[in-house]
Amino acid sequence: MSDAAFWILQLLNALQYSMLLFLLSIGLTVIFGLLHFMNLAHGALYMMGAYIGISITSATGSFWAAFFLAPLAVTAIGAVLYFTLIRRLRNAGPMNQVLVTFGLIFVFLDIVRLGWGDIALGLDAPTALQGTTKFLSVSYPTYRFFIIGLGLVVMATLMTIVSRTQIGAMIRASVENDDMAAAMGINVGRLFFAVFCVGCALAGLAGVVAAPVFSATTGMGISILIPTLIVVVIGGLGSLQGAVVGSLIVGSIETIGAAVLPGVASILIYVLLAVILVVRPAGLIPARV
Amino acid sequence: MFHQTPARSFTLAVVLAALVAYATFGGFFAREIVIEIAILAILAISLDFVAGFGGMVSLFHGAVMGLSAYGYSVLTAKFGIHPIPAAFAGIFLAASFGAAVAAIASRTSGIFFIMATLAFGQMLYTIIFKSRWLGGDDGMGGIPRFDASWIGLDFNDSLQFAIFAVFGIAVCYGIAALLLRSAFGRTMCGIHGNEPRMRALGVSTWKHKTAAFAISSAIAGVAGVFAAQHTQYISPELLFWTVSGEVLIVVILGGLGTLVGPVLGAAIFVLLKHEVGNYTDHWHIVVGLLLIVTVMAGGRGIYGQAEHWITGRSRKARESLNA
Repeated sequence: MSDAAFWILQLLNALQYSMLLFLLSIGLTVIFGLLHFMNLAHGALYMMGAYIGISITSATGSFWAAFFLAPLAVTAIGAVLYFTLIRRLRNAGPMNQVLVTFGLIFVFLDIVRLGWGDIALGLDAPTALQGTTKFLSVSYPTYRFFIIGLGLVVMATLMTIVSRTQIGAMIRASVENDDMAAAMGINVGRLFFAVFCVGCALAGLAGVVAAPVFSATTGMGISILIPTLIVVVIGGLGSLQGAVVGSLIVGSIETIGAAVLPGVASILIYVLLAVILVVRPAGLIPARV
Repeated sequence: MFHQTPARSFTLAVVLAALVAYATFGGFFAREIVIEIAILAILAISLDFVAGFGGMVSLFHGAVMGLSAYGYSVLTAKFGIHPIPAAFAGIFLAASFGAAVAAIASRTSGIFFIMATLAFGQMLYTIIFKSRWLGGDDGMGGIPRFDASWIGLDFNDSLQFAIFAVFGIAVCYGIAALLLRSAFGRTMCGIHGNEPRMRALGVSTWKHKTAAFAISSAIAGVAGVFAAQHTQYISPELLFWTVSGEVLIVVILGGLGTLVGPVLGAAIFVLLKHEVGNYTDHWHIVVGLLLIVTVMAGGRGIYGQAEHWITGRSRKARESLNA
């Protein structure tokens, strides 16, 4: 393989992983920014998305059914969590939030083991997206291009909504100062719930699109959680642009680093996180100025 | 603020006596359980020291314990150093790491502090997991136990080692309780209560936080030395962040900020794990739900709730006497 082809391949891999991280971290970060709620079970929702997606595909025979229905199912799970636990924990302090959502990780882990078993499950990419596509003389799986494209579309949509629409202005106002936003007549409670649902749906979407690439395992929720948290902290808790920048940084370090410096790469993101926490504790692009 | 009340002393004595009795009259399996409880109890004491009294929740205590276990194991198994200096070296390593992380992370608070400890713990896990020299994910074996023949004891005997481990709980509890009653411990509780005010009083808060983590990590290091000697084999799994999460669960279930609660919590947690394991493979869902219920019910834990009822009742009795 030529040198240029190697770098293009690594870049595509990094981009694809970054997009998955983005889909996950955007939900986590916005939920934190609005609700001041740290949801360690976000990775578990991603895992539920993958498993539910696999079941829907095998029931209907269509990946696209899973693509649309699995995020909805995960949103329903999220809504149940919201009304039973999360709403009550909003002002309970970070320790109680971490504890309860850590408990939820365990609960979801066993729900998956009970429902789907311990064996890793695969999912076939839809027929239209199988095979490879040539890009700058590099053959790359079409499905992974699809993930990159999907991530970019979600990114652009959210950016537009947040910066250009009235809903976006309401969200930004509430992140900045929720009491004042409520005083200005924004129904903050309903807005929070809507944003929470979107975050859960994106976690479910990430799960179902990740399943054909990584296959679903009971450990997937726990192993994706740490990079996602790092993205969120590096970018700045609650910040949309921060999640974009953070996921690109973490995705690139993890994939390109693994190819170039195999020994050090896995430690690099922790070093980066430590440096950010010391130098800029609020993250690269803080949500509140 | 910490008070070693008679109820706490009594509970500790009962738990320790029950562990000794269980180890003495139970079989080999009972002794293994007692050792497992002792390791978890020491680790839980170390976490309660900073989380319950200093208000600094950490998700890296498992990694600190693992670091000390690796330090001890490398020195004894690879370099043939005498176990006792090796144990001190392991504990010192753990304390230095804890202090270094706290010195960096004490700039942050709340969720950022938790994230920082999580990140540093995972960094350590990854380094050890990747290191071929330390055995990578295969772990390391051939770790010796203390040689106590000079006082006529044999720690390769499971009963004697189990009682030694229970003795370890008592010593660690004593050290933690003494430090919490000292001026240092009172200052730490003060920082937890109102950090700006303590700073205004002239206390260098980050130094106190760092020292508190050094002490807590040293106690976690003791747990690590026991853990390495227990199975005489260690693997990076000891350092994974979910281990730290489990210790946090033990502290919460037992009673955060009571010091004796976490010891009780460790005993109940391990026994429950083995009992539930007899009926079902799905221990995680049980502990997950238990944790959620405990936190949603007020987060006092078993011992904390009992203490709350008793003190509440005696206060009510006193009030009715006064009225």
